[in-house]
Amino acid sequence: NIDPASLLPNLPRPEELKPFPTVCSTLFRGHEGRVRSLAIDPSGSWLASGGDDGTVRVWELLTGRQIWSAKIGDEEAVNTVRWRPGRDAVILSAAAGDDVYLLVPPIVDNETDVASREILDKGFGHATNAVQELTANGARKEPVAKWTRPGSRLEDEGVLIKITLRTTVKVITWHRRGDFFATVAPTAQKSAVAIHTLSKHLTQIPFRRLPGIAQTVQFHPSRPLFFVATQRTIRSYDLQKQLLVKIIQPGARWISSFDIHPGGDNLIVGSYDRRLLWHDLDLSTRPYKTMRFHSKAIRAVKYHKGGFPLFADASDDGSLQIFHGKVVSDLMENATIVPVKVLKGHKVKNALGVMDIDWHPREPWCVVLDPAVSIGSVS
Amino acid sequence: MDEITVQSTGQGQVQVYFTTTSPDIELPEEKRQLRVPTSVRRYGLSQILNSESMLDTSAPIPFDFLINGTFLRTTLDEYLIAQGLSAETTLTLQYVRSLIPPLYEASFEHDDWVSCVDVLSASSIAGTWNGNEVSAGQERVLSGSYDGLLRIWNKSGQTIATSTSASGGGHTSSIKSAKFVSPTQIASSGLDRTIRVWKYAEAADGFSGELRPSLELYGHKGSIDSIDVHGPSHRVLSASSDGTVGLWTTQKSLAPAASSSLIMSAPIAKRRKLTTQTSTPQRGPLSLISSHTAPVTAAIFNPLDSTVAYSASQDHTIRTIDLTTSAVVDTRTTSHPLLSLTALPGISTQLLAAGTSARHITLLDPRISALSTQILTLRGHTNKIVSLSPDPESNYGLVSGSHDGTCRVWDLRSTRQGTKDEGGGLVGEAVYVVERETEKGGSRRPVAGEGIKVFGVAWDKEVGIVSGGEDKRVQINMGRGVTRADSS
Ligand SMILES: [Mg+2]
Repeated sequence: NIDPASLLPNLPRPEELKPFPTVCSTLFRGHEGRVRSLAIDPSGSWLASGGDDGTVRVWELLTGRQIWSAKIGDEEAVNTVRWRPGRDAVILSAAAGDDVYLLVPPIVDNETDVASREILDKGFGHATNAVQELTANGARKEPVAKWTRPGSRLEDEGVLIKITLRTTVKVITWHRRGDFFATVAPTAQKSAVAIHTLSKHLTQIPFRRLPGIAQTVQFHPSRPLFFVATQRTIRSYDLQKQLLVKIIQPGARWISSFDIHPGGDNLIVGSYDRRLLWHDLDLSTRPYKTMRFHSKAIRAVKYHKGGFPLFADASDDGSLQIFHGKVVSDLMENATIVPVKVLKGHKVKNALGVMDIDWHPREPWCVVLDPAVSIGSVS
Repeated sequence: MDEITVQSTGQGQVQVYFTTTSPDIELPEEKRQLRVPTSVRRYGLSQILNSESMLDTSAPIPFDFLINGTFLRTTLDEYLIAQGLSAETTLTLQYVRSLIPPLYEASFEHDDWVSCVDVLSASSIAGTWNGNEVSAGQERVLSGSYDGLLRIWNKSGQTIATSTSASGGGHTSSIKSAKFVSPTQIASSGLDRTIRVWKYAEAADGFSGELRPSLELYGHKGSIDSIDVHGPSHRVLSASSDGTVGLWTTQKSLAPAASSSLIMSAPIAKRRKLTTQTSTPQRGPLSLISSHTAPVTAAIFNPLDSTVAYSASQDHTIRTIDLTTSAVVDTRTTSHPLLSLTALPGISTQLLAAGTSARHITLLDPRISALSTQILTLRGHTNKIVSLSPDPESNYGLVSGSHDGTCRVWDLRSTRQGTKDEGGGLVGEAVYVVERETEKGGSRRPVAGEGIKVFGVAWDKEVGIVSGGEDKRVQINMGRGVTRADSS
């Protein structure tokens, strides 16, 4: 562990590393109860959120105005919301209970609306034609997931596809091209991690056995690699060759989240045991740097993906730490990591602090899920 | 007036030299140098200048005084002490017509957030085009709201007309921008990605009116956050989050057909419920100019030449567009996302003022020949600056509206050297801060991000500073009590 003060002398002063977010500029109020997840859309104009009230909401990012809301969870909380990448369509995914929903919020023009619906509907033909595998005794295997229309009440709201899995989905993560997404249902034994193909309405279980409880997953930003975090390790797999490529060992007792640098060779990991770890995948399977700045669990870590050398972590201690993290192309040189800002002012409620973060796709702005005020954006 | 000089008995005096940039109130050379008591403030100096022995004004003109680019807000004595100057110094006092404190006049209540405001008066832009005439007392305030409706108000806060709702051919979502084209025509735009042109007619008594849609304009694929109009050429400019600038005509017969794939703007989900029975003509743009790489937040006609437009974008740039060819002829890059834009007559040449997400206003010389981009930075807001309007009575003034819950009045003549932290350059600070009346008397200042956001502001000579915001109100502030002594 490294004391933050000991890091500073040889490093540039934070003021020299501007811009980075410093002040809260917008609050997003409206959810009843806890908000659990948030995500800024690829255009940078909209913010999606989901929470205990079972609603998915879309807000105007700059004004904090709620534009749209749909109730997808009757009793269940919305655990995660994620936008499909790409600018060809506007599709939002959200999970409530065992169900994953694909939505087209009414925030787009007619052409984009039509294009988005076509992308969602294309797979219906595949699904109905697909022949289910037979089990040993000749019975049709129950499919791992059912892709259906959610019914006219939801369809009228723009909620167009429902994918029913067998246990509660906590994580959705998209492949950059927008045709695959993965889900994690940590309590599922064999089918904790599922990969879904949108164009075929197909759900597959890539791993029959995982060495622990799955926490979260990520697609590599450019190569056909897939990363799976269990409590103590992160494994990268080559999905095409069905091979285990690497076992990353952060040394944390319980990983909560990780993120891959847009360059693809570096990775940050946050853990419930208060550690923040930076891995250079070229160097070692062990962390290049271990940081313990928080007094409570780290819930979320995220890199800026729009050209700023920034990353952030969010903690149950109610604070958000912003870091400058510059990756150099020289293989021999390590990344420069400088903590530039601690954003406090996030009140701790029921021992849950800052729960989620997302970065703006272009600007050095982030949105923060803060249980005391719902959601705040920082610029 | 004489008593002012009498008060000086027994007090210190200082030599002052009066200068001005306004020829009509210039003092003869021999009267410019004077010894005045060090105990005087702005008001005392203003009275001295107005006196019989000096300018001999028939009605007193309230003056403000600039010393080295800073408005005098204390006694001369306090100024000398603060600057570490001796009373032996000769102070050069630049006198300017006083900016009148914009005092609260009235609020007009809405059902939802007010996103934009405009004013029609004898001196407003639409009031001066093509011999349009607005007589005194017939001024109108136009407001657009997140509830999707336009409202027209008289100065006493009575609603004279409300636009038809979505089912009657109105906007199907929140309105973001609205402008008078003439006393009988209005253009508006918003989240439903349309521009709507309205016919406005008032009853003879002026207490009721009708606002009916006359044209729907389709072409943008994103929210239209700002529009500008030019009455004489029937043109409308639009700025959209789809990254394009649109040029449109309000003349149905000259407008191109609309793209049919964009017309069903209401999402399929809502279509079943919304069976619109109206048959407002639908048209497309004269041109859509794609040049910005992020949402366009403002597009304005050059007030000096309506064939030229300026656009501001979240991509940090201001672009100059030749509207006759739809070509971008100049691009100025700044350091921050730009959220608002206005043109000012300026001191010697026209300037553009752009409000940023980084809480300041950047002033630029838009001429292609201009060497330096940034002229001046106005600092003081604590959140995004989303609306700007020029002072109708001064070449040097403007008002800004911000998500920090204030409007601020600025005078370009009041400047100082920026600190290292501010990146140097010339910096201006607000002359007045206009708070939301709804927040007054509150026991605490709102925390960051919690301010009652101002979304739109317009400054009119007759009506005053009109602003609208998250408090669901249009607020009017107007200068009064101009010859009052102030202590600050
Ligand atoms: Mg390296």
